[in-house]
Amino acid sequence: MMKKRYLANGLLFVYLISGLASPLWASNSDRKTFTFPEVTGWRQSGEIQTFLPKTLFEYINGGADLYLTYDFQELKVVEYSNEKKASVTIEVYRHRTSIHAFGIYSQERLSDANFVNIGTQGYIEENVLNFMAGPYYVKISGINTGPEDREILLTFAKKVAENLGEKGTLPSILSSFPEEGKKKNSEKFINKNFLGYSFLHSAFNADYSLSGKEFKLFVIEPADKTECKNMIQKYAEQTGKTEKNVTEGRYLIPDPHHGEIELHWQGAHLWGTVGLNDPDLRSRYLKLFEEGLQKRK
Amino acid sequence: MSTADGGRKGRSMRKKLIGRRDFIKSTLAGFGGLFFLPSIDKKQEMKIAEAKGKERKFVYRTLGKTGLKIPAINMGVMLTDNPNLIREALDSGVLLLDTAHAYMGGRNEEVIGGVIKGRPRESYFIGSKVNLPQDRTTGLYMEGATTEEFLKKLDLSLKRLGVDYVDILYQHGITRKESVAFEPVLKAFDKAKKDGKIRFTGISTHGNEPEVIHAATDSKAYDVILTAYNFKQKHYGEVRNAIAKASQAGIGIVGMKAIRGGYQQPPTVRNITASLKWILQDPNVHTIVPGFTTFEQMEIDLSVMEDLTLTEPEKIELQKEASIRGSYCQGCRQCLGQCLEGLPIPDLMRAYMYTYDYRNLPLAQDLVLTLNVPSRVCEDCGQCPVKCSIGFDVSRKIRDVARLREVPTEFIG
Repeated sequence: MMKKRYLANGLLFVYLISGLASPLWASNSDRKTFTFPEVTGWRQSGEIQTFLPKTLFEYINGGADLYLTYDFQELKVVEYSNEKKASVTIEVYRHRTSIHAFGIYSQERLSDANFVNIGTQGYIEENVLNFMAGPYYVKISGINTGPEDREILLTFAKKVAENLGEKGTLPSILSSFPEEGKKKNSEKFINKNFLGYSFLHSAFNADYSLSGKEFKLFVIEPADKTECKNMIQKYAEQTGKTEKNVTEGRYLIPDPHHGEIELHWQGAHLWGTVGLNDPDLRSRYLKLFEEGLQKRK
Repeated sequence: MSTADGGRKGRSMRKKLIGRRDFIKSTLAGFGGLFFLPSIDKKQEMKIAEAKGKERKFVYRTLGKTGLKIPAINMGVMLTDNPNLIREALDSGVLLLDTAHAYMGGRNEEVIGGVIKGRPRESYFIGSKVNLPQDRTTGLYMEGATTEEFLKKLDLSLKRLGVDYVDILYQHGITRKESVAFEPVLKAFDKAKKDGKIRFTGISTHGNEPEVIHAATDSKAYDVILTAYNFKQKHYGEVRNAIAKASQAGIGIVGMKAIRGGYQQPPTVRNITASLKWILQDPNVHTIVPGFTTFEQMEIDLSVMEDLTLTEPEKIELQKEASIRGSYCQGCRQCLGQCLEGLPIPDLMRAYMYTYDYRNLPLAQDLVLTLNVPSRVCEDCGQCPVKCSIGFDVSRKIRDVARLREVPTEFIG
C-alpha cells in the first residue's frame, strides 16, 4: 500500500516537473493527518496557514530561530471567531520527535504556571493555553474572550488534543533526576550548545534548591563511548588541561564560566552538577542520579 | 486580498514601478561596485575593555539621537537561557542586551532579569519588544491590538526583567507602513515615556524592511530602528538607502540577521567574521545584535571589532556567496498590488517552493487550495505586469503550481 502511494506521488511529481524527475522525499509519509476541530458557536475565520522551517520566520519573526534549534518541522495555524467578536488562534507546531517538542515546550514553560491535564502536560494563563502531546507543541490564544476565557481555551485545547490522537509522555530520563530539592517543572531539554559549548551538544537539566543552595543537575546522552570520551577531553581542554586517558568515572572541571563542574561518566550517560560548590553534596547528588539512571534501566 | 488592494491599485502600481526602478538601480550599483562600501572611517571611537585579564578592542558608535554610546557589536539574547553566557558578554564589554516579550514565552526576559540583578542600572542597556495581534496575511494589526494590551505587556516585561524601565522598546515585527503609525501603539509609547517606563521608542522589521524604515523615518515617532540587513538580501541596496535616510534623520540603527536566522537555518553564511564586517562597513549601522549561544561564538563575534576591514579573500568569498541565485521568494512583497487580479503571489511562490524544493506535495496542494485562486489563473492577462524583485517568472510559476488543484487529494496522500 505504502509503495503504491510512493509510486503515485512519484508519478505526480514527474508530471509536475515535466520530465525533471528525481527521488521524492518520503519524510511526510508517516505524518498523521491532523484536522482542526469544530467547536459549537465558533467558526474558522480564515484559511489554515502552514509554515515550514524556511518560512516559520514569516510567522514568529525572531522567535523562529529557537524553534529551528528544536528540529521544527511544520506549523499549522487557524483562527476561530464567534458572534461576540471574540477570536481564538490555534498554532500546532510539529517537531521531529517528542523530545524536541518537550525541548521547546520546556523552554517556554514558566515553572510557576497553572498546569492543566491536557496532552502530555499543559498550562493556562490569561488568554493563553499551551500544551505538548507527542511531537506536537500546541499554543492556543484568545482575544476578547472575556470572563469565559479559561473555559473557552480549555474547550479548544481538549478538542485539539483529541484530534492529535496521542497524549504522549514526558521523556523517561526525567525520572532519573533526584527528587530531593528539585524545583517542580523546572526540567528542560537543551538541544544545542549546552552550557554554551557546542561539543556538549544536548542535555536534560533541572533546577534545585536545597538549604539555601541553588544549583542544576544535568545528564547528557552521548552517541557512544568515544563521544563521551571526546566530550570530557574537550571540556578539560577549556580549562587548559589535557586528559589523555579518559575512562569511566568522575571528573572535576574548573569551568572558567560556570565554576566547578563535577561530571560522572558511566556507560551511555554523562551527568553532573552546575553551581554546587559543596563537595559532599555534589557527591551525594551524583550518587542519587546514578541510582535513578540504574532504576530507569 | 483583491478587495483590499483594488481601490488603490493604479496609484500603488505607479509607486511600485518607481520603487522597482530604484531597486534595479541600487542593485546594479551594488553589484557594480557598491556591494562593498568605501573603507570605513578609521577615526571611529575605540576603547579597550578588560575582562578576566584579557584586553579586547571595542569599536563604539553613537545610536543616533538617543546619544547612547555602545559597542558596534552587542548581544541578541533570544536563543539562549544560559545566564553565564549573558553575564560573560556583559563582563566582556557588551552593553546592549536585545530581547523580546515573546521570546521563550517570557523566560528570556526572566533569565536576563536574573543576570542584571545587582548590577548598576546605568551599566547596561535593555532593548525589548512588544507585539500585538497581527493578520499574518496582510501584516496589519487586528482587533485586540490596543494601547492597554501593549502597556500590559510592557509592564509584564518590566516585572520579568526586574527593572523600572527599558532603554529601548520596539513594536515587534512590522512589515507594513500602515502599522508603523498605528495610533494605539503610538499612544502606548507616549504614555510609557511619560511614566518613565521606556527611554526610547523603536520599531523592528524582518520583512518589507525598506517600506517600514521609510515610514518610520517619515513618522518621526521613533528613536531606533531594528532591521534585518545582510549581504544575502536581494534588496540590500534598498535597505541600505532606507537606513541612510533614517540615520540622517537622527534615528539609531540596530542591525540584525547579519549572520544567522532569516529564511534559512543557522548558520546562514560561510564566513561569519566577513559577514559581520560587511554590515558594519555601513556607518549608518550603529550596532548589531548577533545571537551567539556559545562562548566560542561570542569570542568570534566580539573579536571582529579588532579590525573591521574586509580583507581581499573575505571580499571574494562574500561576493561569491552573494551571487548564488536564491530559489526562494524573498518575501519583499513588492509584487503585492502589481497583479491585476490581486493574487497572493508570495503564498503561491511558497506553494511552488513546497512543490519543487521541498517536494512536499500534500503541503503544496493544501496551500494552493486554501488560496482560492481563480479557475483560469494567469491565462487572461496577455502580458503579466508583475515584476518580481529577484526576477521570478511569476505567472509561469503560478500557472504551473495551480495545476495541483486538479489532482485528487487522496492521490497525493
